[in-house]
Amino acid sequence: MKASEAWSPDELLTRATAGEAAAFAALVRRYQRTVYSIALRMLSDRHRAEDLAQEVFLQLYRSLDVIDSDAHLALWLRKVAVNRAIDRIRQEARHDNEPLTEADTVVDEVGDADPLLQRRMAELVAQLPPAARAVVVLRYQEDLDPVDIASTLDMPINTVKSHLKRSLTALRARVLGAAIVDDDIQPSVSEPSR
Amino acid sequence: MSKDFEQQLRDALRPVDPEEGFEQRVMARISSEPARTRAKVIRWAVPLAIAASMAFVAILGTYQWQERREQQGREARRQLLEALRLTGEKLDVAYQAVNRESPPPDDGNGA
Repeated sequence: MKASEAWSPDELLTRATAGEAAAFAALVRRYQRTVYSIALRMLSDRHRAEDLAQEVFLQLYRSLDVIDSDAHLALWLRKVAVNRAIDRIRQEARHDNEPLTEADTVVDEVGDADPLLQRRMAELVAQLPPAARAVVVLRYQEDLDPVDIASTLDMPINTVKSHLKRSLTALRARVLGAAIVDDDIQPSVSEPSR
Repeated sequence: MSKDFEQQLRDALRPVDPEEGFEQRVMARISSEPARTRAKVIRWAVPLAIAASMAFVAILGTYQWQERREQQGREARRQLLEALRLTGEKLDVAYQAVNRESPPPDDGNGA
């Protein structure tokens, strides 16, 4: 067992801020899944997601002094990952309606869920406009509630709820192939269980 | 149905791990960065050095200005004393000349 695994999250942060490489490496291990997954869902490309995730951690390395707790770190990483991804999408002016290749649609198949349906849903999420995609990813991948999403994206809470409602409606309609869309679909705002 | 759909969405968006060796690749990129402690020192050292230099120049300038003023004051005092001394000497000479050239006072008996 590595010594860094015995450190508490806040201790990791303190040591990393003091310049301990092992502590920073442990922070990367701790948050690489979160940052990479956000980048992948937003960019729909493994290589660009990896590159963006690396850049986020590089930016973290340069900005450790402004992070004051592990909770702040988690918020900061999500915010930077999402904002960088949105910036990159806008710069490249593509992807909004670009269908994904099979290799890029990554789903971690679990339980008795239909893998084809999961893949289809991931594809459809990737086709949402960047801001709506970010809201959906933070809600259903990161399990953030609308208040935390609003804080992460610097977005009014009502805009977050609106994105959620409209995205769910659109996704549901396309997944089910339904001609009639139920306008009354409301996203649940309770804390989801994992 | 909405709940089921949201759960399906959650399953579809389950977080995934980056490819093996991600941490090492990040650390390799970071190794080309200045060390954190050094970076910290450099970040503070540059403004501090500039501020210290400016303070040193200001103090030195003030000291030199005061020194020059005091020297000018001393020089003015010396010149004033010299002028007073010369004036005093000239007054003495004039006083002696006046005393020497003046006839002795008449005693009034015509002798």
